[in-house]
Amino acid sequence: MPRPLGITSLQILAAIRSRMTYGLDIVAITGLPSGTVYPTLARLKRGGLVSARWEDQRVAEREGRPRRRYYELTGAGERALAEGASRMAGLAAELEARAVGRSG
Amino acid sequence: MRTRVATWLVRASAWLVPGDRRAEWREEWLAELGALARMSSNGSGLPGPLGFAAGALPHALWMRMEGWTMDSLLQDIRFGMRVLLRAPGFTLVAALTLALGIGANASIFSLVNGLVLRPPAGIQVPERMVQVARSYESAPRWDNFSWPAMQLIRAEARSLSGVAGYSDRVFVLGRGADTEQLSGQLVTGDYFGVLGVRPYLGRLLQPADDVEPGAHPVVVLSHGLWLRRFGGDPDVVGRTVPLGAEPYEVVGVTPPGFAGARTLGAPPALWVPTMQHPGYGGGELPFDMWSASWIYLVGRLADGVSFEQAEASMDVVSGRLREASTTNSDMLVLLERGVGLDPGDRRQAEQISLILLLIVGLVLLLTCTNVANLSLARGAARRTEVGVRVALGAGRARLARQLAVESALLALLATVLAVPIVLVAGDFLPAVFPYAVTVSLAADARVFAFLVIVGVAAALLFGLAPAWALTRRGSIDALRAGASTAGRARTRLRDALVVSQLALSLGLVAAAALLGRSVLNAGSADAGFQPRGLTAAFVDLAPTGRYDDEDAARRLFDDLVRAAEALPEARAATIASQTPLAGGHSRRTVRPQGRDDVAFEAELTIVGPRYFETMGIGVVRGRPLGGLDDEPEPVVVVNQALADMFWPGEDAVGKRLDGDPGWRVVGVAADVQMRSLRSAANPGVYYPLAHAYSPRMVVHVASEPARPVGATTLRDMVAALDPELPVGAVVDLHEAMIASMAETRTIALLVGAFALLALTLALVGLYGLVSYGAAQRVREIGIRIALGAEPGSLVRLVLARGVAISMLGVVVGLGVAYALGQALQSLLFEVAAADVATFAGAALLLVATAALGAWLPARRAGRVDPTLSLRDS
Repeated sequence: MPRPLGITSLQILAAIRSRMTYGLDIVAITGLPSGTVYPTLARLKRGGLVSARWEDQRVAEREGRPRRRYYELTGAGERALAEGASRMAGLAAELEARAVGRSG
Repeated sequence: MRTRVATWLVRASAWLVPGDRRAEWREEWLAELGALARMSSNGSGLPGPLGFAAGALPHALWMRMEGWTMDSLLQDIRFGMRVLLRAPGFTLVAALTLALGIGANASIFSLVNGLVLRPPAGIQVPERMVQVARSYESAPRWDNFSWPAMQLIRAEARSLSGVAGYSDRVFVLGRGADTEQLSGQLVTGDYFGVLGVRPYLGRLLQPADDVEPGAHPVVVLSHGLWLRRFGGDPDVVGRTVPLGAEPYEVVGVTPPGFAGARTLGAPPALWVPTMQHPGYGGGELPFDMWSASWIYLVGRLADGVSFEQAEASMDVVSGRLREASTTNSDMLVLLERGVGLDPGDRRQAEQISLILLLIVGLVLLLTCTNVANLSLARGAARRTEVGVRVALGAGRARLARQLAVESALLALLATVLAVPIVLVAGDFLPAVFPYAVTVSLAADARVFAFLVIVGVAAALLFGLAPAWALTRRGSIDALRAGASTAGRARTRLRDALVVSQLALSLGLVAAAALLGRSVLNAGSADAGFQPRGLTAAFVDLAPTGRYDDEDAARRLFDDLVRAAEALPEARAATIASQTPLAGGHSRRTVRPQGRDDVAFEAELTIVGPRYFETMGIGVVRGRPLGGLDDEPEPVVVVNQALADMFWPGEDAVGKRLDGDPGWRVVGVAADVQMRSLRSAANPGVYYPLAHAYSPRMVVHVASEPARPVGATTLRDMVAALDPELPVGAVVDLHEAMIASMAETRTIALLVGAFALLALTLALVGLYGLVSYGAAQRVREIGIRIALGAEPGSLVRLVLARGVAISMLGVVVGLGVAYALGQALQSLLFEVAAADVATFAGAALLLVATAALGAWLPARRAGRVDPTLSLRDS
């Protein structure tokens, strides 16, 4: 059983899930530094949670720019994100309960 | 530009990515950068190109280390440690050399950190503070305000939640033998509140402490003064201390480290409310005077207001000020972000910081070159070991990694050794740094982060060359083939390293020589007066509170001059309100009589009898000024610069300054460099003490240069006339003249020391190179001797390469020297940045050093015993 995903990884997975996207997009959506996003992407890719594919050369040429690399979630990535999201939700509920318990 | 640097950063990082994935990696990053550059940068939440590209390095590192396992890394570390321990001599020399380079860099950085980067201590949220200053559209400057102007700014500047004022003053603390002169500040009641300073003991000043002139004899002590003078006694709060003529109640102590809102200058020892202003001659208080500017302002941005908004709102404030003050219709109120340094000081501090960082950067480069050279030399000895590992199947990448780990270990050791250097430098640097620095230069987290970064950079610098040479494909193939001669590549690399050592040395030697000549020039410069044998003692009557009567004060000054003349060492003596190159400077706006279109803020000097004679300032036209009783009407002497400015081509004598009757010009004096040796003399006016007054004066005594008047003599002399009048600084003006070039002198010493180090390293480097070359050709030399070659011709043979390399080093070095000279230009005095004689001298010194380094091993080659050399191989 691999280690449960951290908040950064989940943020990135969620960003990718919202649309098929490239690295710069993920930096923009998550607000994380590029030095965090790219190594995490590489790690997620190695873990089989995301896959990467190159944009069609023709599309890029039509728009007059170099082709870019898109990331998308794999099936395992979808499951890991769902599992992580429910874990975070549980954690949030627990924290809230404690905070309320103390102040009340 | 930024995008170009970012692209470069990505391309450089790409080399870390394993070869099979490099092209793809680079394509992705460059495409993203391109996309980023096409987007509008505003409001997208995206980082700038540089910030974005900064992520490429961690990504590339991650890719590189992906395949590494902890076990293999540990194995490399263990092996690396064994390698370093096996050659303790090499390891120690290399680590110490590097530690010197790294330590020098981090030390200078700690200075830059304390001076430029770190805000003054003890201030809450310093990034929301601003400095407020007065300037003019026609003549930009950075100046203080009058009291009414401050009140107006406080009322009008709604973008600032608070505006506080401070003014540097000299205070006299204590009675009798305990009397001492201290620098302190008059501050507005909200000063500590606006800065957000918390008391260490008692309380700090409050607005209620600053309401009515003369009604608030309360004082706040600095932590330092409290420790030194009051032994850290907590009961000091509530106690009464004599300050000037009055008793003051100590209400509190500031926290340690707090030194006001400014980083440069003497740290204030105490703070007193502005309402305790001693007043000007005759006790005139400045609270209604628009013409007396004496208070510096700092403000805090109101909540939710940005600096730009506050800056824009100053236009309105400037407008109100112009209406209210009637004079100076082009006055401006300026804001500067942060506190600590005003823009002029900041520029200067940044410039000096850059020069220092550049120099220590060169030193780091030099030490890295030296260690790379050492490693290369040792690489020759390690070829067998590497050969064995290659034979056992180690790949090029694996070998490179092993060497990288070794370099990292060496750099780590050096970084650890550099820590004490940095710690010592924190105590030592303020003493050699040319400005009084109020901040602590002690190392903090930022300094240590910098230390680590420099360590890593050094590891890359010195580790790359040997790693490249040892693991080049060709050299590995050669090892596989069991070849026994060193690759040409490594030889060429060593040549290149020695050339750069020689070049760096030449650059540093030339820079040190330029700076040294500047200091010497300053010592013999013609500043318009005779500084040798001239001693100046500063006295200030205002803080004593006992000389409200100007005539009594004038009599005291006159008595001081008489007493000084009576000193056995004295040749002549006088008194004046300022002294060239050493302080007390002030200016006053003057205009030629009858002309409203011309006015100038001229250098103002109030002088006693025999001023020009004592100072050795020539009076070129008319007559000098007389003593108290010799000048019945208001007359002045102007300097040549002012005469040329106001009355070009005319005789200034007989002309008048200002209104009716104004001041009649009776003489023209030669120009004196009052403020700086480097800038041209300002137009100036000398007023006789009989008709002008300042409570702050400087007693000047001229003596034979060999027999200067001692400080104690002067202090005793003043004490005999008024035992409770403390004497401020006592200055030898010749020393002051040299000290006015202090930053040049400090940097000259620093660069000189580094140049010496550089020369030594270059000597060792060249020696090593030539002996290595000779050792490699020992067989050839043996054969030549066996065939009857003259020893002299063999020496020449070995020497030839050393000479070629030295020549190349000189050529490149002259380029380095030229660049350094340009960078140092602002510090030079009366010597050209590319002074041919200096450069030639430095080149000669380098050639001599190189000759020594090459000749020693070459001489040995001439003595090779052919039988031994042939048998050895």
